[in-house]
Amino acid sequence: MASLSEEVLLVVKKVRQRKQDGTLYLMAERIAWGPEGKDRFTVSHLYADIRCQKISPDGKAKVQLQLVLHTGESTTFHFANESSALKDREAAKELLQQLLPKFKKKANKELEEKNRMLQEDPVLFQLYKDLVVSQVISAEEFWANRLGGVNNTDPTLFNNKQEVGISGAFLADIRPQTDGCNGLRYNLTADIIESIFRTYPAVKQKYSENVPHNLTEKEFWTRFFQSHYFHRDRINTGTQDIFSECAKQDEKGLKSLVVQGVKNPLVDLLSLEDKTLDEGYGVSTTQPSTSNANRTVKESSNYAIIKRFNHHSAMVLAAGSRKGETPADQASETSSTDGNSRDSDFFQPPVKKVKLQEAIEYEDLQRENRPKTVALNLKKSDRYAHGPVPLQSQQYTTSQDIINSVNYIRHEMANYKPNLTQVVSSTAASSAIVALSPGGVLMQAGAQQAINQMVPSEVQGELKHLYVAAGELLRHFWSCFPVNTPFLEEKVIKMKSNLERFQMTKLCPFQDKIQRQYLSTNLTGHLEEMLQTAYNKFHIWQTRRMMRKT
Amino acid sequence: MKLNIEGLLVYFPYDYIYPEQYSYMLELKRTLDAKGHGVLEMPSGTGKTISLLSLIIAYQRAFPLEVTKLIYCSRTVPEIEKVIEELRKLMEFYSKETGESNNFLALALSSRKNLCIHPEILHANIVVYSYHYLLDPKIADLVSKELAKKSVVVFDEAHNIDNVCIDSMSVNITRRTLDRCQNNVDTLQNTIHKIKETDAAKLREEYRRLVEGLKEANVARETDIYLANPVLPDEILQEAVPGTIRTAEHFVGFLRRFLEYLKSRLRVQHVVQESAPQFLKDIFDKVCIDRKPLRFCAERLQSLLRTLEIADIADFSAVTLISNFATLVSTYSQGFTIIIEPFEDRTPTIANPVLHFSCMDPSIAIKPVFQRFQSVIITSGTLSPLDIYPRILDFRPVTMASFTMTLARTCLCPLIVGRGNDQVALSSKFETREDFAVIRNYGNLLLEMSAIVPDGIVAFFTSYVYMENIVASWYEQGILENIQRNKLIFIETQDAAETSMALEKYQEACENGRGAILLSVARGKVSEGIDFVHHFGRAVIMFGVPYVYTQSRILKARLEYLRDQFQIRENDFLTFDAMRHAAQCVGRAIRGKTDYGLMIFADKRYARADKRGKLPRWIQEHINDGSLNLTVDEAVQLAKHFLRQMAQPFRQEDQLGLSLLTLEQLQSEEMLQKITQIAHQT
Repeated sequence: MASLSEEVLLVVKKVRQRKQDGTLYLMAERIAWGPEGKDRFTVSHLYADIRCQKISPDGKAKVQLQLVLHTGESTTFHFANESSALKDREAAKELLQQLLPKFKKKANKELEEKNRMLQEDPVLFQLYKDLVVSQVISAEEFWANRLGGVNNTDPTLFNNKQEVGISGAFLADIRPQTDGCNGLRYNLTADIIESIFRTYPAVKQKYSENVPHNLTEKEFWTRFFQSHYFHRDRINTGTQDIFSECAKQDEKGLKSLVVQGVKNPLVDLLSLEDKTLDEGYGVSTTQPSTSNANRTVKESSNYAIIKRFNHHSAMVLAAGSRKGETPADQASETSSTDGNSRDSDFFQPPVKKVKLQEAIEYEDLQRENRPKTVALNLKKSDRYAHGPVPLQSQQYTTSQDIINSVNYIRHEMANYKPNLTQVVSSTAASSAIVALSPGGVLMQAGAQQAINQMVPSEVQGELKHLYVAAGELLRHFWSCFPVNTPFLEEKVIKMKSNLERFQMTKLCPFQDKIQRQYLSTNLTGHLEEMLQTAYNKFHIWQTRRMMRKT
Repeated sequence: MKLNIEGLLVYFPYDYIYPEQYSYMLELKRTLDAKGHGVLEMPSGTGKTISLLSLIIAYQRAFPLEVTKLIYCSRTVPEIEKVIEELRKLMEFYSKETGESNNFLALALSSRKNLCIHPEILHANIVVYSYHYLLDPKIADLVSKELAKKSVVVFDEAHNIDNVCIDSMSVNITRRTLDRCQNNVDTLQNTIHKIKETDAAKLREEYRRLVEGLKEANVARETDIYLANPVLPDEILQEAVPGTIRTAEHFVGFLRRFLEYLKSRLRVQHVVQESAPQFLKDIFDKVCIDRKPLRFCAERLQSLLRTLEIADIADFSAVTLISNFATLVSTYSQGFTIIIEPFEDRTPTIANPVLHFSCMDPSIAIKPVFQRFQSVIITSGTLSPLDIYPRILDFRPVTMASFTMTLARTCLCPLIVGRGNDQVALSSKFETREDFAVIRNYGNLLLEMSAIVPDGIVAFFTSYVYMENIVASWYEQGILENIQRNKLIFIETQDAAETSMALEKYQEACENGRGAILLSVARGKVSEGIDFVHHFGRAVIMFGVPYVYTQSRILKARLEYLRDQFQIRENDFLTFDAMRHAAQCVGRAIRGKTDYGLMIFADKRYARADKRGKLPRWIQEHINDGSLNLTVDEAVQLAKHFLRQMAQPFRQEDQLGLSLLTLEQLQSEEMLQKITQIAHQT
């Protein structure tokens, strides 16, 4: 059963299970144990099935590790290598410790998903009750192709779950508190650290470069709190500081952003003005520009704050959308290939064109240009429900036509003469009428009254559930054909017994019940027929197999 | 739809029309009929541009002999491009309705890179370009001087037109200018030397022409071919260029002397302020330069540059600047002032002398436009109070009207926040500017608003320095960090490229639902040129009253001039100027009837009648007495209520018949009656 491609993460020899020596394997998705000398596993648990692991206390003679499953079962491994038992156990424990949480999430998610499906779909819930709770089939079998469907058809739902953005104020949440003895305490949580890393990749890089080789984690964050990230008004932190490089990097990033310019021409302040006055002209009412040289300390610290707020906001925004670089650019790019040729003399890049169009649009002055969705005003809704009748065979008749034909029929009727040589005898006629009347020989099938008039609704409901359950089982059964793998073989046999069990535990009691109530046993006839067909199929298959084997 | 505007068939490229658009077109038509000038204020987002274009083009088609050309001036490049798009739309509608391909030629001149002085400009029916092409004599001379008299000129977004006029006529001279000028003069001299050896005939020919004088220009002006150049006064056209500067060498020598004189003037230790006549007297006393040759200086230099066949005029910008200055200072004895400052006020230790030659009278630059063209329309979303523009631009309009915005729902909510929750009066006035309590309360206002306003908030400060200080203070108090919990923060800087990026990021943050705050400055580029439509600006907060920096000597001189010449009191003008900028700022958020936004005036001074009364009517009429002196908390409550109301769906049907009309509705007697009340004549 072990496929070869499975990655084996850890192999521990000399591990006992039920007093049998063997080897423990930790693989990517499951833990397995096989007895010595045999190449198959007698114990195999998916990590997702494991609720927790327990270990024996250190002082104990036996070094053991117990796995508790979600089902409540447990498996105990005894590490029997005398020299390294403890070490082996620790290794297995450590690895499990890392692996289990990963699968736990998935398991929980699956459980949640199952729960949700059952809650949302009452039919499914009933089916679950009928089949699983009454132990016709196991839960695993029940979910086998259902959940698979959910997981497979919509993998995007699971893999591309929506990215959560970053709060703009994550630094504000680190409220420094005085610790009472001339120090400050900063509260740093894993979330905040993640926010910092996502917003400032430069910091993350510094972190991975320096921690833990050059600095401890604590030192690193202490320095971070002293840096310009936290004190936006600080202008020059010491040059030896690891974050001064980040500052430079940020500066560079900001500059390159600025140099890139903006895509939307309507917010491009540089090309806003048609003509700036030539140098030397104009009234300089604005206060003299503060160049870097003659700024006071206060001014440049104010300037730094403003710059860093802009930078921070831009980075937070970018971190939120970094994953999904929207294809908007592409769209605009492709649209540039067409159109616009007509104004070759007045070429405008398409983004600009679109923005301009948007800017001059008065949506309320125009008739709504989307297709009008007028509510249907139906005089005869049944005619609408039955759909259009094909026109070809129909001829429209004018009222004159109708009057003419009525006259014609009346005329015909008046002159009607029965062709007495061709009529059937009156006895034959009356027996035919009897046979065709409700209850007659020919109307046996049609004579059945609608089921809803015949049986109480409670029985109807039960029957419905039986149908659903039987249908589900039969679906499983028929899906095994053609039986071409050993797995299917196994399954088809199992399913047949499931069917039989279903008949015994569910169908038969129901039949007894309706018999007691003197209802037509015909009710379950079809169900039995379906089951019988399945059995027949099974027998044919089985005899064929036997023949092939002999 | 096709409209009947007092007997004129107007094609209007939409299925519906706003009542105020109809009213606007009526007033516009009356102005054109009277062949006079007009001042029209209509809120942005009510389709001013398309109304203008539709009516004037219809007029042009109906009376091709009365109006031959439309000259449409706007301020920024995007605005010019928007006009072109609207025009295109209108033209498409015309050809669809009439079935004939239109023979209208429209021409857009925008930014110098596609500057086009093709003769086609003379034949175009519509010219769209920036103010400067008409108001700046240096460009107007190249581009606009041959435009037909029977043109209609429109100045859109004209609320700052006086400043454009003043800028185009003012000159600043620094040491660097003079150094570069020195180089120019040297180059000129060398070139003259060379030419003299190779092609002396050329110079002789020039001399002959100069004896003839500027007769050509004079003839042209009298026969009405040219737009007058305000730099070139009438009188000198009749005269020959004075003998002292007629030969090239003499002229270069003259320039040198003038240059030396300017250099000596820049060697000052204290601030000097003088009038043009004083300056002329001084220059005559010191270096014996007469007024007359100075007046010809600009023209004489142009002639010389042409004769020397100098290709790259840009290299000679310094000497051109000096000669323009020479002509201006000797032409206008009034309306200008000369201020020489030896250093910047902030850095008294660093010598950086500047000679400011400042125009104080905007009417000088625009006078030729009013005189030449039969109809000039000044229009904008914020022109209140209307009567001040004719006064400072010195013209007599035939129509002055302010239009309200008809609204099916009150989509703007102006609130005046005068107090903090602790009852501290909020104001940006000088005395309390550094007051901690005020700054804290301002921060609190922004914080509270950031929690309740969806998407974008734009906040304006009165000046850049003020904003820097407040931001630093908010940072220290941890207010900004708290705001960051609600929205991202972007801040305008003095670097245009940096600010552009911040703006784009701001829009991105509004777009993706995160929400953002933009801190910006009144009178800055953002406040003048960037619209915050819909979710890009659900609230605008104006922190303080954006008075201009009153300590500047140039401003003081201008205020004095206004008082003496136009009888406009200093305070009236300052308040008018502050309020028009405040209106511009808050108006950025409302860009149409489907838009909505809060307008928060955070200064108790806004409650006063003299301030409030200077806001545009369409804002003023929504300020009720209950929202005059709110605390932060009260404002938050009102804002919450407003936003909740605005969040309800708003459909076209809700507007129809009230603020949006079909042709049938428009034609009803009752509606026409109502429409007459939209225009508010002054």
